[in-house]
Formats: sequence, C-alpha cells, structure tokens
Amino acid sequence: MKKRILVVDDEEGLRLLYKEELEDEGWDVDLAASGEESLERLEKDSIDLVLLDIKMPGMDGVEVLRRVKEKWKDLPVILCTAYPHYKHDFGTWASDAYITKSSDLTELKQTIKEILGKKR
Amino acid sequence: MEYDIIEEVNELAASGGTLEERLERVARLFALKFHFDECLFFLAGEGGALKLAASSSGLCTTGVLSYGNGEGLPAVAIEKGVLVEAHKGPRGAEWEGVPDRGLEGVSTALVYPLGGKGASFGVVYLKSRERTKLPLVKKQLLKVAAIQAALMVRNAALIEDHRKAHSELLEIQARLASSEKLLALGDMAATMAHEIRNPLLSIGGYAARLKRQLPPGSPGLVYLDKMSHEIGRIEKIMNGIIRFLKDNLVELKPDDLNGIVDEALNVFADEFSAHGIAVERRSRHAPLPVLADREQMKIAFDNIIANAIQSMEKGGALKVVTSRSGDFAVAEVSDTGGGIDPKHIGYIFNPFFTTKKHGTGLGLPIANSIITRHRGGIEVRNEGRGASFTIKLPYSGAARPGADVPPVEAGRAV
Ligand SMILES: Nc1ncnc2c1ncn2[C@@H]1O[C@H](COP(=O)(O)OP(=O)(O)OP(=O)(O)O)[C@@H](O)[C@H]1O
Ligand SMILES: [Mg+2]
Ligand SMILES: [Mg+2]
Repeated sequence: MKKRILVVDDEEGLRLLYKEELEDEGWDVDLAASGEESLERLEKDSIDLVLLDIKMPGMDGVEVLRRVKEKWKDLPVILCTAYPHYKHDFGTWASDAYITKSSDLTELKQTIKEILGKKR
Repeated sequence: MEYDIIEEVNELAASGGTLEERLERVARLFALKFHFDECLFFLAGEGGALKLAASSSGLCTTGVLSYGNGEGLPAVAIEKGVLVEAHKGPRGAEWEGVPDRGLEGVSTALVYPLGGKGASFGVVYLKSRERTKLPLVKKQLLKVAAIQAALMVRNAALIEDHRKAHSELLEIQARLASSEKLLALGDMAATMAHEIRNPLLSIGGYAARLKRQLPPGSPGLVYLDKMSHEIGRIEKIMNGIIRFLKDNLVELKPDDLNGIVDEALNVFADEFSAHGIAVERRSRHAPLPVLADREQMKIAFDNIIANAIQSMEKGGALKVVTSRSGDFAVAEVSDTGGGIDPKHIGYIFNPFFTTKKHGTGLGLPIANSIITRHRGGIEVRNEGRGASFTIKLPYSGAARPGADVPPVEAGRAV
C-alpha cells in the first residue's frame, strides 16, 4: 500500500512542488490550502502523515497540530517553519518533527522516510 | 533731561551680537553719558565670584578682572543693595577701610548692583581719575539705566536657557522619530523576508526538479546550476535577515523562571570572578512556571546582567531574587554600581540611549521589547548603592497569556 501524505500550506507554488517531489518518491499526496481545509480532508481520507506549514492565515499550523493530536493521536505530523537553525523542542505539542523550509527538499524527504519507516 | 539714555540702553539691548558685545556698547554709553573714564560690568559666575564681562575700554583693560566673594566695593554695593559712591585721595586702593584693587589711581568711583537686593548677579562699576560729583538726578538716571542693563543680562540668560531646552527637545524628538522609523523598518523587513521567502523556495524547488528531468549533457543544465546557486544565495540572505529579526517573535513554551535566570547567570560566571563581583541568588518560590521563549528571555537577562557588571567593573555585589507576586513571577536584579543618574532614568529604555563610550544603547530596549512580547514588564529604580531592575512575567498558573497554547503534556521530544 502506498502511504498517503497530506501537505498543508497556504502557498500554492509550494504545495505543487511538494506534491510533485513527494510523488516522485513514491508516495500519494493530498493537498490542503488552509488549516480548516486540512481538518476536513483528514475526516474524509485516510492519511499516513501530515506536512504542516506553521504560518497560515486563519487557523495556523500550531492550532491544526493541536486538533490533529487530540483526534488522531498517532498520526505523525511534521511542522514546517521559516526559522532556520531554530529547532524548537515542540515536544510539548507532540509534533513528530520540525523542519526548516528550504528549496532543498532532501532533509524533508529523509525525515518523512524515517517516520513512515518507523511506523511500518 | 537726558532720559533718552534709557531708550538708548533699550536699543543696545535689542541690538545684535553676544551679551558681552552688547554690554560693552552699554558700558561705553554709560562712560560717555555720565562723564566717567571707564565703565565696567561684572557678572557673577560660579561660586559667586564676580567676573569682568564688559568694559567701555574693551576687555583688555589693565584693571581688575574679577572680585572674589565679599571682596571690594562690589561686595558692599551688593550687600547693601545701594549705589556706592566712593571719593578718595589720588593714591591707595581702598575707600573707608574697604580695600579694592580697582581703586588704584581713581578719585571717584560709583558701584551699583545689578538685580534687586538679595538677588544681585553683578555690578556696574564707573571710575574717574578726576574727582567728580554726580548730581542727584543723574544718579537716579544711572540707577534706572543700570536696571535696564540688568534686565538685558537676565533676558539673555533666559533666552539661553530656553534655547538649550529647545535644542534638547529637538534632539530627543529626532531620536524618537528615528527609533520609531527603525521599528517600522524592522517590521517591514520581517514581513518582506517572509513574503519573499516562500516564492523563492518554489523557484528553487522547481529549478532543482527541472535539473533532474533534463537529459545529462543538455546545455540548460549549466543555466539551472547557476540559478540554483543564486537562489541558494538569496535564501541564505533571507535566512540571515529572518534570524536577525527573529527578535520580533517569541514562541512561548512552559518554562521555569528560576531555570532561565540561573542559566543566564551561569554565562557570566567567569566575568563575575574577573571583576570581583559577589553574586547572591535567592529563589523565594520554586518552581516559577511561566510561558516563555527561553532563548529570548536569556537575551533579555543577558543585557540586564551585562549592564550590572559594567557598572561594577571594580567589584561589587549582584543580587538576583526570584519570587511569585500575585499573578506574576518576578525577578529582581540589583547591583551596587552607583545606580543611574536621575536625569537619565527616563531615557534608558529608548533605543540608542547610552552613557557608555562603546555602548549601542540597544541592550535595554531589546530586553524591554522581549519582555513586553511575553506580556510582562520591566521597571527600574535606584536602590541602595546601585540600580535595581524588576522583571515580571505572567505566572502561568494564574494569568493565561497565550490563550491558544495547549496545556502541557508529556510529549515526545523531536
Ligand atoms: N545597572 C546599571 N547601572 C547603572 N546604569 C545603568 C545600568 N543599566 C543601564 N544603565 C544605563 O542605561 C544606559 C542604557 O543601557 P543599555 O543597555 O540600553 O545600553 P548600553 O549598556 O549603554 O549599551 P550596550 O548595551 O550596547 O552595551 C547605559 O548606558 C547606562 O547609562
Ligand atoms: Mg505559510
Ligand atoms: Mg547594555
């Protein structure tokens, strides 16, 4: 079974980039343009991992994370942020990884592989 | 009668030039109108001594340049608040037992205080080699003219004060405006950095994709390499800007004020011993739960502690007390470094205000902005032998600043 990743980002260009790149790696990719939309998708589809932008208009990534973890405790979430070299211990919010946004997606892909691999 | 002298003094008072230049013109007018050889103005300087401010014969007079407190005829005139009229023999430098070096070779002298009795700030001193007797009317006239001259001196002082206050105000205003501009600029830069970064990431990401899709050896690859390289460069610059402006954002997490303070103090351990500073650390309550961005709060405390150390370079005592006070967790940082000049205390949180040769004046404003973003506050007062800074953060059990922040749970660390 292919794993399905939900990409949540308000930036269209980035959403499409993530989609193409992650599909190339052999994953299925769903897209959501806002926090609200991401929660709807999660209700409908079966998702294996969420890639979550923090800074979004409306419901931001941190709030989405909180709701996701309330409802789907074991669903892995990777938070993306614009702050480089500022790796927070998001442990209190139970995010599974914390990624600095970059045009180089190597680190992101590596992290996804590790998390999905662990679950298998 | 020659009342027109009053009008003339007024005209001279309003004429251009420095106070000294105008006084000299008045002195010449007095000498001329009252038929004296010389007319001098002495004004009180610091410590009450009278200094020659102007002379009808120019400042290169050979006579007395200053009178000490209580010295000579000027002291008599000032003390009594009256016109002193001295007639003496051709030789000697005294009159009725009052020695006055200025009386050398003078037969008649008139000294009149400037400003009322008890509030004199100088004298006008007229000298004549010949013996002369001023008729009563002329004496009255002299008094009125001298009062006129005194007014001119006092106005000049007032104008000078006013001018100084005005230019200080202008300077403060300019500094305020520039700090506001700087803040606005910082906000703008932060927004820009964020706005530019996302599209930039797309461009870079697609360039990388394209590179992978082109067959090896295609000429386009060279261009794409260059593009990726340049995009990488811009990304780096944007990251630098965002990191620099990161000060604008705090990410609040449950933390313990005691721990933050201890960590901040630890950084300075070597400096404390190098400067002979004894540190007293007390926590009246523990733990002190707060919602804080630890890195940022450490920067705030770093700046406050660094100032304390700089005020005690030759040794002293630093006291850091943490406690809970109502809805706040409080840290008090007190030093024995002499405190803050009361006339500066209102300015120390302004950007760029510094009394240090190599200071930026940004330490406290940064600390203040970090603490404010934590919904806390910082206050300063002089206490004991030094300055005392009080930092308050909402106690996270009582006040709930980040209403959106979820309760602490034993989550997995990344
Ligand atoms: N503990 C203190 N004791 C005496 N004066 C202080 C103390 N803390 C601050 N000040 C006064 O406040 C001024 C402003 O402090 P601030 O930290 O903002 O800038 P600075 O220390 O002058 O420069 P920088 O922080 O860049 O070294 C200082 O120049 C000093 O006059
Ligand atoms: Mg975003
Ligand atoms: Mg400082």
